[in-house]
Amino acid sequence: MTFFKKPKKLLEQKQTVIEKEKESSSSSQQTSVKKSQSEQDANVNQHQSINDLLNDIEKSFSSSEDLMTHWVEMPADKSKVALIFLDSIIDKQKLQDLILNPLFELDKDIDLHTFEKVINIDFKKQTDFTKIQELLLQSYTLIFTKDSTCFFSVFTPIKTERDISEPDNEAVIRGSHEGFIESMSTNIALIRKRLKSQKLVVKYLKVGKETHTNIAMLYMSDIANPEILHEVERRITSIEADSVMTPGNIEESIEDRTFSLFPQTLSTERPDRVAANLMEGRVALLYDSSPTVNLAPVNFFVFFQTPDDYNKRWMLGSFYRMIRLFSFFIAIGLPAFYIAIVSFHYEVIPSALILLMKSSLENIPYPPLFEALVMELTIELIREAAIRLPTRIGSTIAIVGGLVIGDAVVKAGLISNLMIIVVATTAIAAYTVPSNEMSLAVRLLRFPFMVAAATFGFLGIVFGLIIMFFHLCRLYSFGTPYFAPLAPFKIGDLKDTIIRLPFFKMNSRPSDIKPLKKDEDNHTRKWEKS
Amino acid sequence: MNSSHTITHRQLFFVIIQSQIGVGVLSLPYTLFAKAKTDGWISLLLAGLFIQISILAIWKLCEMYPKQTIFDFIPKIVGTKLGVVLNILFVVHLFSVCVIILILYNSIVSKWIFFQTPRLVVILILALTCVYCITCTAREIARFLMLVSPLLLVLFFFVAYAYSDVHLLYAFPVGAAGIKTILSGSSDALISLLGFDTALVFLAYTQGRSNSKLKVISYASLCVTLFYCFVTFTTYIFFNPVEIVIVPEPVLYMLKAFSFKILERTDLIFLSIWIVFVTTSLISYLFFTAKGVQTLFKLKHHKSAAPYVGIICALIASIPGSKLDVQLWSKLIGMSALCCSSLFPIFLLLIAIFRKRKEKGAVST
Repeated sequence: MTFFKKPKKLLEQKQTVIEKEKESSSSSQQTSVKKSQSEQDANVNQHQSINDLLNDIEKSFSSSEDLMTHWVEMPADKSKVALIFLDSIIDKQKLQDLILNPLFELDKDIDLHTFEKVINIDFKKQTDFTKIQELLLQSYTLIFTKDSTCFFSVFTPIKTERDISEPDNEAVIRGSHEGFIESMSTNIALIRKRLKSQKLVVKYLKVGKETHTNIAMLYMSDIANPEILHEVERRITSIEADSVMTPGNIEESIEDRTFSLFPQTLSTERPDRVAANLMEGRVALLYDSSPTVNLAPVNFFVFFQTPDDYNKRWMLGSFYRMIRLFSFFIAIGLPAFYIAIVSFHYEVIPSALILLMKSSLENIPYPPLFEALVMELTIELIREAAIRLPTRIGSTIAIVGGLVIGDAVVKAGLISNLMIIVVATTAIAAYTVPSNEMSLAVRLLRFPFMVAAATFGFLGIVFGLIIMFFHLCRLYSFGTPYFAPLAPFKIGDLKDTIIRLPFFKMNSRPSDIKPLKKDEDNHTRKWEKS
Repeated sequence: MNSSHTITHRQLFFVIIQSQIGVGVLSLPYTLFAKAKTDGWISLLLAGLFIQISILAIWKLCEMYPKQTIFDFIPKIVGTKLGVVLNILFVVHLFSVCVIILILYNSIVSKWIFFQTPRLVVILILALTCVYCITCTAREIARFLMLVSPLLLVLFFFVAYAYSDVHLLYAFPVGAAGIKTILSGSSDALISLLGFDTALVFLAYTQGRSNSKLKVISYASLCVTLFYCFVTFTTYIFFNPVEIVIVPEPVLYMLKAFSFKILERTDLIFLSIWIVFVTTSLISYLFFTAKGVQTLFKLKHHKSAAPYVGIICALIASIPGSKLDVQLWSKLIGMSALCCSSLFPIFLLLIAIFRKRKEKGAVST
């Protein structure tokens, strides 16, 4: 009892409360005893007394030391009630504010049953004794009375969330700077804030036998295709695993092809992006304690859109989107192209450049493939080191890694100047891909292309590209073609893929995800007609 | 047949175009010139007309037996036993077409890019790429073939660049070779136009009205004929008639002469794009073959036949070594392909019509 401080002024009141309770309880108890006796028969087989019950609970938690039991004397009838909770995941202040203070403040003849009705939404009467463990794990505080037919639960979660901030890897120049956080309810609130529509549906699913990970599936009921909804739900509910920890686990379990480099769901931390995609008919998957939201089904070009595109003038938006798509090809093809030229097809270089290239390559002892591999791997090393290190040391790594190694390696004559230029350009190009997963895919893809170019020159690159594009053509995301609208070709859907047309042109939703409502009401420039 | 494997008219159009344009485009002007001199382009146009008849036959056959591939309806037309024999023969023909595509591809690549690389390696990379590509449904193949079609424009522009330096007079006098030589030249032209016969399998997957299917195939073949004609005519007015005899791949030699400020040796770039077209025509023929093997061996899916088909073709294609061998093989397979692809459907149609008449007669009496 020492743990819970009683408000000083209440101490005096307490005495009077008890006296009053005594009088009233004598009359009411008689009726309740009869009732409880008959009900008790049903439960008797398991728990004779509170103590037994508490022991059982403690056993089921293997005597974990953060499982706390506290005995409180009710001010009304001096009967003892037990509070039980997991110390680590409940907010003690809340417990004090929600239960103990009101209990002692009220000087009427109040018992917990009436308390439930009067005071608090979070205060609930429970009768299902099998749910005890589950409730405790969900940061409920449970109250047991002598009455063994029921108990009470109060939701007292500890607030462990951080504040809403802009996601680091998806920053924008103009537009909302809000990002998702590790709380699912907050994340849903952020989306609801943007889509104030009764058509927005939230559906909760649960996976993981031990982890009980909550997943929320969000969609627009009048736009999203029911077939796709069904498919997403079917795949999630069919997951059978003890632990489903990260969004990555779920992504991997529900995507169409695990043996593909390309991501088949779009993960984002931006509520505005999710809201926009929901309006196109996609499904959003939110996870417990993860700021990442997955969007499905997606196509290849979704990974190259950023919310910034829609805040720029449309021509600039289109230009930068094309730059990003172009950078995709640079990132996978430039080193391969360079290797192919210097090892097979010198003839392609214009004569003015050939001396320059020759002189740069003359004294390099290694074949171009080896040069490229060493440099690419070095860059990957620097990148990986920079992620793990704190920002202050990170910049040192950048200087040592980038400048010192880059400069020294050329001066030492190990790697040619041109190769440094090629590798650096490639590294930058890979980072312009807005989605992290796609950027990683691109970074890995360049290695097979480099090997192909070193063995077969242009021919190798062409065959590599054929295989890659064919793979994209046969890839599906939840049954919708991944490389749409290029394969299958839909000219109307190109308006928001390779380019970004003005807003008033966007009056139909992309057809690859088969939305129920094809037409988007977008008459933003009606004033022109008048 | 699963409804999710169907293809649209537009896709069919590009499938036919991509199957028709292939290895032939580089050496076509040379082979035509060998027979019809500078009137080779006229033979080509005539060949385009001839294949229209085959296309009509193919279309009619597919209309009579909708949603079936040629392997399904041959036994129905000629009876089960003869049908199996004909099916086997047709699959052998398809194998030979795949083999000749690989042989010709290898002969160009080994002449222009890889002089030392073993034949088998060069052939295998193409064959294996195609094997990967055909292990899926007709729809995905059609999507891919349509996706790479814009590359045709690049080819077109490369060739069109030659018009900065042409002499129209080289093409005159028109018709000097005489009708007979022009006609005999068109048989060579026909071989390079082959590929329309893949419609025999792809038509089975196409949805939509039958009449528009015919239109689509005819337009596709018209486009290819015109494109080939354009290429041939361009080389004839670029090189003078004495020169062409000594350049076996006139298109490449023509491009070799161009150089841009940022790009020397345009022919190498052209070759890289050309390889895409070789791949696409091999993809559709291999798919055709795999479908045939599937019916012959009663497999569940043509996927399981694909690797064997590809590897067998590659192994056979790496046999002919010397130039003479290649010429012999291409001549033999060319002639057999001509019979099987363009004449066989016509015969088949005649038999089918004859049988139907007979049945009708039997019913009425």
